[in-house]
Amino acid sequence: MTHDSKTDEILLDIKGLRKWFPIKSGMLTTVKSYVRAVDGVDLQVIRGETLGIVGESGCGKTTLGRVILGLIPMTEGSVHYDGEDIRMMTNRDLRRRLQIVFQDPGGSMNPRMSVRSIVGEPLTVNGIAEGAELTQRVADLLASVGLKRDHMNRFPHEFSGGQKQRIALARALSLDPEFILLDEPTSALDVSVQAQVLNLLQEIQSKRDLTFVFITHALNVVNHVCERVAVMYLGKIVEIANTKDLFSKPAHPYTHALMSAIPEPSLDKVARRRIVLSGDVPSPANPPPGCRFHTRCPIAEEGLCDVEEPKLESIGEGHSVACHFPLGPGMKLPILGDDQNPPEDDDMPNTVLL
Amino acid sequence: MPSKLLEIEGLRVHFDTLDGPIEALHSVNLNVDQGQIMGLVGESGCGKSVTSLVTIGLATCDIDEGSVKYEGKELLFSDSESDKKIQEISGRITAVGVLASIIFVFWAILIDPVQGATFLLVFLFVSIASWLVGFAGKREYRRHQKFMRWVRGNEISMIFQEPMTALNPLYTVEKQISEVMREHDRLVKAETPRSFRVAQALVSPLTLAFRAMRLRPQSASAILAVLAFVTVAHLYGFADDAKNWVFLLVIVIPLSASRTLLSASILLALLPLGIAAALVMFLMLWMPFSALLGMVVISTLLALPVIMALDYLKLDPAHTQQVISILEAVRIPNPIAVVNMYPHELSGGMRQRVMIAMMMSCEPKLLIADEPTTALDVTIQAQILQLMRDLRDEKGTAILLITHDLGVIAEMCDSVTVMYAGSIVEKGSIEAILSRPRMPYTIGLLHSIPTIDDESEHRDVLPIIPGQVPDPNLHFDGCRFHPRCPFADELCISTPPPMIEVEPGHFAACHHTNRTENVADVQGSFDVFAAEYVLKGVA
Repeated sequence: MTHDSKTDEILLDIKGLRKWFPIKSGMLTTVKSYVRAVDGVDLQVIRGETLGIVGESGCGKTTLGRVILGLIPMTEGSVHYDGEDIRMMTNRDLRRRLQIVFQDPGGSMNPRMSVRSIVGEPLTVNGIAEGAELTQRVADLLASVGLKRDHMNRFPHEFSGGQKQRIALARALSLDPEFILLDEPTSALDVSVQAQVLNLLQEIQSKRDLTFVFITHALNVVNHVCERVAVMYLGKIVEIANTKDLFSKPAHPYTHALMSAIPEPSLDKVARRRIVLSGDVPSPANPPPGCRFHTRCPIAEEGLCDVEEPKLESIGEGHSVACHFPLGPGMKLPILGDDQNPPEDDDMPNTVLL
Repeated sequence: MPSKLLEIEGLRVHFDTLDGPIEALHSVNLNVDQGQIMGLVGESGCGKSVTSLVTIGLATCDIDEGSVKYEGKELLFSDSESDKKIQEISGRITAVGVLASIIFVFWAILIDPVQGATFLLVFLFVSIASWLVGFAGKREYRRHQKFMRWVRGNEISMIFQEPMTALNPLYTVEKQISEVMREHDRLVKAETPRSFRVAQALVSPLTLAFRAMRLRPQSASAILAVLAFVTVAHLYGFADDAKNWVFLLVIVIPLSASRTLLSASILLALLPLGIAAALVMFLMLWMPFSALLGMVVISTLLALPVIMALDYLKLDPAHTQQVISILEAVRIPNPIAVVNMYPHELSGGMRQRVMIAMMMSCEPKLLIADEPTTALDVTIQAQILQLMRDLRDEKGTAILLITHDLGVIAEMCDSVTVMYAGSIVEKGSIEAILSRPRMPYTIGLLHSIPTIDDESEHRDVLPIIPGQVPDPNLHFDGCRFHPRCPFADELCISTPPPMIEVEPGHFAACHHTNRTENVADVQGSFDVFAAEYVLKGVA
């Protein structure tokens, strides 16, 4: 998003973060093994920016978000918010400064509470406002997300998906936080409503000077909203770059595949030949050795990729990638799987032009 | 000119609710040609799924008018007027007859047995007779239901959005796929004759025991040893003494003996197992031998038929082979293992493949795919879409692809139909709709999707369609899109727009198609309109 005064002050500093969920079984719940949902993530979020975290389901992006907010305890590593370790912060302080908007707006609201009490609850809990003042503040919050004052006495089921997400956003804004984690805020919405919510998010960010971490699986949304993007695969960040760099010269093969897999409503199919990855994402309980992507990677090399784990290394300004063979701009990725619909002209090589 | 496979004409349906009827579809016209991939696109609540469910006769709504023709045969059913009358009258007479019969049962008991019994017989006869008349009046309906059962699966199949809820969690993959095929007589001749299978089932408890001995020799021999010990103890009369030593034997001695050998965590895990075993042994030694014997005999008698029946119901090897070959066709890796799996053991993409395999097993001519990839990740979505396209190319199956994702439509379809609030607003070839859309809704929808295309001018604010899809309860005289449309005027409010052929094969339902020729201009009007809309304060 547009944010002119770009101070490179690091707001959120994540180092070596791990979150392993134990798999318990047996008579007396002995720990058999671990699901490595987040397995060694280093990430910095700069004040005022929007950082996108993309990845497929099961890659650990939601877990990462929850650990950042302290909703679930971390296994290893550290998260510093504005220089403070979040484990040292009190819950009340944490929630005042960091807020979250969940994916399913209906599921994150108590159906028996009116909008006034949903949006106003953080204010009453923190003893900020009550009575007429509370009503006024809730009305202001609703107005700032494009809802009307008389929506206040209604209940969540009376609203459409887009409106519910607006209410969730109003609730997140009620304590005037500095940081909001958006966990797939538009995945459950229709496209025309998604556009409205995305615009609203941008407007609110520029008005209130907020820092966003935007978790999503939709790369096109990321391209529109975010300034920097981190791509996750099986609990690790495989590539992180400025949005412009990532979309113009992606370096990790997985990023390539992800970008080519997005169906776009345009007709120039020849320019966007698809890379269809074979197979599924491996289980995070038993991740493959070496590079975690090597089982599906078209350019994986035996003896290297399946043995040695690549480190996240810088290949340009603000652009890091975890791959033994990062692709430079203009390089081609061989098509894995079969391409059933070759274009009419035969002089197109069987590769993807990048 | 390809022949028409499915023709939907003037379909109008409503749902009866407590708040009165809700009209879900208003005159829907839709054609699918042979071997064509037709896209049906629209936002949630616009009637895409209702259209498809009405087509295969699974909808729970009432059909007001219209026709759905598959290869010229009508799929919708409505009783003739006389049949309807007969059903109504017979239903009422039956109800009154049954009620009167109940009254006369009490009459016979409480007042006058002879009188009561006579009336009871008369009324019973009347109600049974009228019920039979009503049943005969439903003959046509039953014939149609039978026909629809044949059509579903054989001719038209449907893939549902959520494969987890569409598959039965209690049955294995092979069972579910073979069931569809059995229903439609697609299974090959069984490999083993029936008599042989019966014999096999009868000895199945023995084979089961053998298998247990082979696969888990330690557990099996431990159980046998315990049983032998208990029997011997009872027969030689030291059961009473033995039961007092059981806890010591089973728990204390092994625990203390293995302290040095086993780690603490394993000991902790073994402890409850030991207690359970000791309790069972204690009970078996404590009860009289006759009671123990009786329990064993009864439980064996109960279990044997179940084991035999389950074995008899197992799938024939030839059928399993058939299912495996179908799974191979949808490129499921390692199909031999997958046939014996349950849906929860499969990943989302695999489940959707099983679903597609099930639907393709009877080689239908038309496949209705209701949001087949919405629940899947993008890389898996790419695999599934490619699979569906290949099936079309190999077998010539026509596909009606229902989705809200215009990207998927662009990827897959030959033609597109755009729906909005229960009516069709635009249809035409994929090329026409994507590059020369004429209905303002389509234009707005296309622009409101963020792209990853780098060359397109990057707008800071995403273009939007203001407002939201109207409540289906609301009644509109004119165009249903007019509250959100920048071009709306009195005409749009009062008169429903006709489908205008803006170019050959490209129809748009709009009064102002003359103002929508330039897409950029329309988007400009949308932007102005959206700004005004926000100012008016209606979110």
